[in-house]
Amino acid sequence: MSKGETNFQFLDRFDKRVARLAKQAEKYVHTDPDSCMFKLRLMVETMAKTLTSLQMRGDISKDLGAMLGALERSGTLPRRQADTMHAIRRDGNAAVHGSPTPVPTAMRRLREAYKVSGWFCKMLKRGSKINLDAFDPPKPPTPVDQQTKNLHGKIDELEESIEQRRVATRESLLMFGPQEDVEEVTRRITEELKALDNVAAAAGEPVIDADFVALVMAMDLEQIEEDPRHGGDSRQARREAEEQLDGIKKHLADREAVFLEERTFLMEQRVHHQKENQ
Amino acid sequence: MPTLLDLPTLWFLSARTMAVAGEDLPTVQEAATGLYAQAILGLTEEECREAKDADHISNKTLIDCLAGVRALPTEESEKLLTGVMMIAYADRSMKPLEVRWASMLASAIGVSPDVFQRCCVNARIIASMLRPSGGAA
Repeated sequence: MSKGETNFQFLDRFDKRVARLAKQAEKYVHTDPDSCMFKLRLMVETMAKTLTSLQMRGDISKDLGAMLGALERSGTLPRRQADTMHAIRRDGNAAVHGSPTPVPTAMRRLREAYKVSGWFCKMLKRGSKINLDAFDPPKPPTPVDQQTKNLHGKIDELEESIEQRRVATRESLLMFGPQEDVEEVTRRITEELKALDNVAAAAGEPVIDADFVALVMAMDLEQIEEDPRHGGDSRQARREAEEQLDGIKKHLADREAVFLEERTFLMEQRVHHQKENQ
Repeated sequence: MPTLLDLPTLWFLSARTMAVAGEDLPTVQEAATGLYAQAILGLTEEECREAKDADHISNKTLIDCLAGVRALPTEESEKLLTGVMMIAYADRSMKPLEVRWASMLASAIGVSPDVFQRCCVNARIIASMLRPSGGAA
């Protein structure tokens, strides 16, 4: 791609602010990757706000993470696009908080932003035809030396491995596996459940019957908690559950911190090499 | 005779059955299922992924599931029941098949009405903790 050209020209027809942020990110990707990430994060935030105002009702949090979560839960934002937007949000936040962004990371996010912006345009104007060309990576303003190329290769490998680890974590958390046909599984389970329901209804039920279950499920939490048999247990249960949940959240946050450390380590190596060369 | 399943498979099978019974898959197909598996049941990421491997879980029936939970140690089975009830409470509504699945699981495990109520209290607490603020439920 030569100077002055852009991958994001098509965005002008749909959202000028998003288009401007994308082009700015593209411009900075080699010379100032941190600024590239700021712009990409802002671009994602702008897209999320637009989608929220178009597709959702009620009081939606202004926090980007929560906004993306709400869009995902409402079915507006598919999993793949959500992953991309969260990755940009995370790396944008890291850049804001002083963690240096390597050029290959910024380039990777720029490429992903290109794809997600095509999807965004389709969401804005349903039925509009958008045929994205292959992403054309912006060229560096000055030739890159071999040492930097090698380092970029290592960073790219690291990014790939971080991506795989994130995907693995996400897959472990969801209810269905990536290869499963959710519709088919749902159909089969519904069939089985209805058959068992008929059998249970015909045969009568043992200790815990459906009427009792319905009664307990319909009771207010406060009402059950007030029962002296459960009051103490529920408070203890909340403490224990909070501790366990905090533990998992900390584990996930620690993993993200490790990813950043690994990336920062490579960046420091680069500075070290540069000093040695001088 | 049904094959006895391991805890990770039992968890995902019983949790998704409750989700299907609730007719609200998009809401519950969140990280809550895996978070509960890892935080409360103590399963690893690897175990959670393996359990959902299509070859692993796709040929298992609800009868296999009920037979499996019946054979679990008391503590594990009660935790599993609590988690399944958490899924039921996730959307703040109750459907007839959810009630039926909870009843079948509780009977298979053999919990008393008191224990069942305690599981429900704990499930409600966890569901309220995991429910994002501002979300539809």
